[in-house]
Parts: sequence; C-alpha cells; structure tokens
Amino acid sequence: MAGAAHPEAMAPRKKGSTRTAPPQTPTTWWSAPRIRTYLLFGATGGVYLLMGFLVLRLAWALGKGPQEWNAALSSLSNPLYIGFHALVLVSLIFVGLRAFGKMMPKMQPRGGPLPVLPAATVRGVIYGAWAVVTLFMVLVLSGVIF
Amino acid sequence: MKHLLLRLEPVIWLLFGAGLSVGTILLTGFVLVVGLGIPMGIVSADALAYPRAHMLASNFIGRVLLLALIALPLWKGAHHLRSLSMDFGGESRDGAVGGLLYLIAAIGSVAGILAVIRL
Amino acid sequence: MSESQKMMRVEITRFDPDKDEVPKIQQYQIPVEPGWKVLDAVNYIKDHIDPSVAYRWSCRMAVCGSCGMMVDGEPKLTCKTALSDYGDAIRIEPLANFPIVRDLVVDIDGFMDKFRSVKPWIVRAKERAQDMEELNSRGTYSQTPAQLDAFRQFSMCINCLLCYAACPVVANEPEFIGPAAIALGHRYNIDSRDEGSRERNAIFRGEGTVFSCSFANECSEVCPKNVDPAAAVNQAKLGAVIDWAKGLILPKGGA
Repeated sequence: MAGAAHPEAMAPRKKGSTRTAPPQTPTTWWSAPRIRTYLLFGATGGVYLLMGFLVLRLAWALGKGPQEWNAALSSLSNPLYIGFHALVLVSLIFVGLRAFGKMMPKMQPRGGPLPVLPAATVRGVIYGAWAVVTLFMVLVLSGVIF
Repeated sequence: MKHLLLRLEPVIWLLFGAGLSVGTILLTGFVLVVGLGIPMGIVSADALAYPRAHMLASNFIGRVLLLALIALPLWKGAHHLRSLSMDFGGESRDGAVGGLLYLIAAIGSVAGILAVIRL
Repeated sequence: MSESQKMMRVEITRFDPDKDEVPKIQQYQIPVEPGWKVLDAVNYIKDHIDPSVAYRWSCRMAVCGSCGMMVDGEPKLTCKTALSDYGDAIRIEPLANFPIVRDLVVDIDGFMDKFRSVKPWIVRAKERAQDMEELNSRGTYSQTPAQLDAFRQFSMCINCLLCYAACPVVANEPEFIGPAAIALGHRYNIDSRDEGSRERNAIFRGEGTVFSCSFANECSEVCPKNVDPAAAVNQAKLGAVIDWAKGLILPKGGA
C-alpha cells in the first residue's frame, strides 16, 4: 500500500547514526476522492491557459478588422469549440466554488485592524459579486445594455 | 532559475491569485455569451457584430477588461500547471517547468497588451 | 471474553535497519474487544504476541501527539481511532513522508529543524537587556482576550505531524517548511506581544517558501485538534506578500 515519496522528504539536516528507510507515501493516495478533487483543481490550469490564448486570438482578430473578427467569431460555432467552452464553464464553476468557498474564507488576516467575518458572510459577498459581474457581462455582451 | 522563481514568488502568487479570483469572475459571463450563447444560437450574433464589438472593446474600460480576460487566466493556468507538475514528482525539473510555463504566460500577456493597444 | 470473540487481521510495517534491506509487512491475528482503539490493538500485539514491535505512544487521549501512524493509508492518531470503523483487517504503517527509523517509528528531526527555523517564540525588537529591564519594571506582557483569540487556534497544535503525512507538497518538496511549522510561525506573527514578523516572513519567503503550498487542504482535513493549518499557511502567504510589498515601498527598518 506504500510507494515512495521524495527520497529526501522530511530528511533531517544532520543524518542520524542509524540507517533509515526512505519515506513512503500511500499508493491509495492518488485515488482518494479528496486528492482527485485537488488534482483536478490543478488541472484546470490547462483549461485556463488555453482560454487565455483563445481570448487573445479573438482580441487580435478584433483589432485586424471586420472580416477577421466575423471569421473568428463564427469559428466558435464549431462543436469542438462549444465543447471546449462547456468544459471551461464547468472548470470556472469548480474553481470558483473551491477558491471562494473553501480558500478565501480561511485567508482572512487575523490580529490586524480588520474584523474576521464568518465564513458564510465571506462566501456570500464573493459569490454575490461573482453573480452580479456575470449578469452584467451577459447583459452587455448579448446587447441588452449599451 | 529556481532561485529566480523564488525571488519572484510574491509577484507570481499575486498574479495567480488575481487570475483565480478576478479571472474566474470575469470569464464566466464571457464564456456564457461568446463561448456558448452566440455559437448555440441562444444569443443573436448581431450583439457582437464588428461595429458594436469594436466599440465595446476599444473604450478604456473595455481594453482593461479584455487584457484582464487574456492575461489573468494565463498566470492562473501557468502556476497551477506548475503545481500539478510538482504533485507528480517534478521537483527536480521545477526550474525548467516553472520557467517555461511563466514564460508562456508572460509572452501571452505581452501579446495581449499589443492586441489591446491595436484595437 | 464474549462467546463469539471478534478476530481481526492486523498488518504492521516491520523494519529493522540491522536486519532488513527494506520495510516489509507482518501480519498478526488478534482478538479484539468492543470499544478498542487502534492503539489497543498494537499494544495487544506488543504485550501478547510480538514484543519486538516498536512504536510511539503516550497519553492515549489525543493530547501528546506521539501515536500518529498511517491506518489503511490515512494519517491518524491511533489512540483516537476506533477499531470498529474498520472491518476484519487493518493495515498500520509509519507516518508517510518521514524517514523510517524502525517499524512504526519515524525520524522527526527533519520537522524539528523546520520548526526551529521559524523562530517559534516571542521575538522582541529591542536589545534583550533593555527589554528585560522594562519587563521587570512593568511585570508581564498584557493581552486582551481579543488579541489572544487571534492566534489561539493555531497554538493548539500538538506536533503530531499528521499534517506532514497528508500534505502532497511535503511528499514532493523536501525544502517546504510544512503545515505545522508554518502555522506555529504564523501564530507568533499574529501574537500582539511579538515583534519578529519581519524575520519570520523572510524565512517564509526563503527556500522552504510558504508559496509552495497549493491548497490541497489535506492538512486541515486530518488535523485532530482543529488547528486548521491550511488557514494559517494561506494567511501566512498574504502576510509574506504584504511584508514584501512594504519592503519595496518603505526603507529598511520602516515600521
């Protein structure tokens, strides 16, 4: 049930007088549900990286002129792109829930001038901001406002 | 390289944090309309016809938001992929992997600045 | 003993550096009583079957932090873990990510090095002699209940090291200071009596950088004392960044 961790993991600065066996890590670690979720969290990095470059491509086309822009925008109708964007949306929600729901409430600085708010309040504020900004952007981009 | 990455760590982490929070919040609406709504015909493509799209993007706030939509996800992505590499035992190659990923994010960010200036 | 005595197979890692190349698993079949903890099973083996098994334990009430081991692949305090949570078999291994000294005993000197490195004591800015004079004239440091509350949770750490066994960064990055040491360093950074946060933040940004933490949150999941080291580490990141920014803007020695 145990595999190898980094051979120098938790090694003392000065070696002791007896031989120690190298540090172990449980082989079940990879399949544990919490760890799978954590690794997925890191893997969303790939999705974000690709999305950033996609927006770059769109911005570049917009700068070139109407023909390039229309071509770029209509290329997004390709089912592969739609599938990718669905994946991006799922990643955004997953990342948001983990970062805003779990991480941010814990990060409030303590011992300083600011009060420490209950986790539910922090979540409420950040999720609220997320919803408001999303709604605003949807209304603007779909032509309802401006 | 590892030493350089260590010295730049606070900046990298701030960019990553901005990508994680601001990037996620900004991208959601963008993906809903540009990535899904318009391609699936739920939103009319006229909403982002060239004249309007250019008008929205080329005012000052539009340029800033567009740059944020490009750069912030790149830094979040680069940092997270570096973490993932570490999780898979990549400590010895971290200098190369981290350096490469952040270089990609930096190039993308610079390209983003250029794209936004050229609107 | 009851009519139908429950039996359990207990697998334990054995390693004797004088005899074994690598650790191996040894199996024992033991009778178990209702209400037993995992530690009771190990003690039974030591007392009745195999006195050569080596392991650490002490208080048997989850305050000393000695009895941390991997139970079916998860870091647990064996004095606090009910045997009835497991079926007919259980595997007990030494804490993950630590060098193994013998059987279930791991070398914790690596942790002690990291712990010492964060200066886990009150650091005062003034010269020691001057500070002691003032201290002697005014008595003890005072602190309001609110000031105590700020760091109290992080001071509850019993150094059981389950968090180190759970942390993927500890497993992969030998230099990383680690959850408990960062939490305890941060505990002093936010203690109103302490004036050493500049020094500690420099260590937090050094080789063992707190920024290696990738928010797996496993440390807080396994902590038996609800210290929430993940909160401390991520607050420490924020503190280190603010300190770094202050260092850019203000001259050296600026408050």
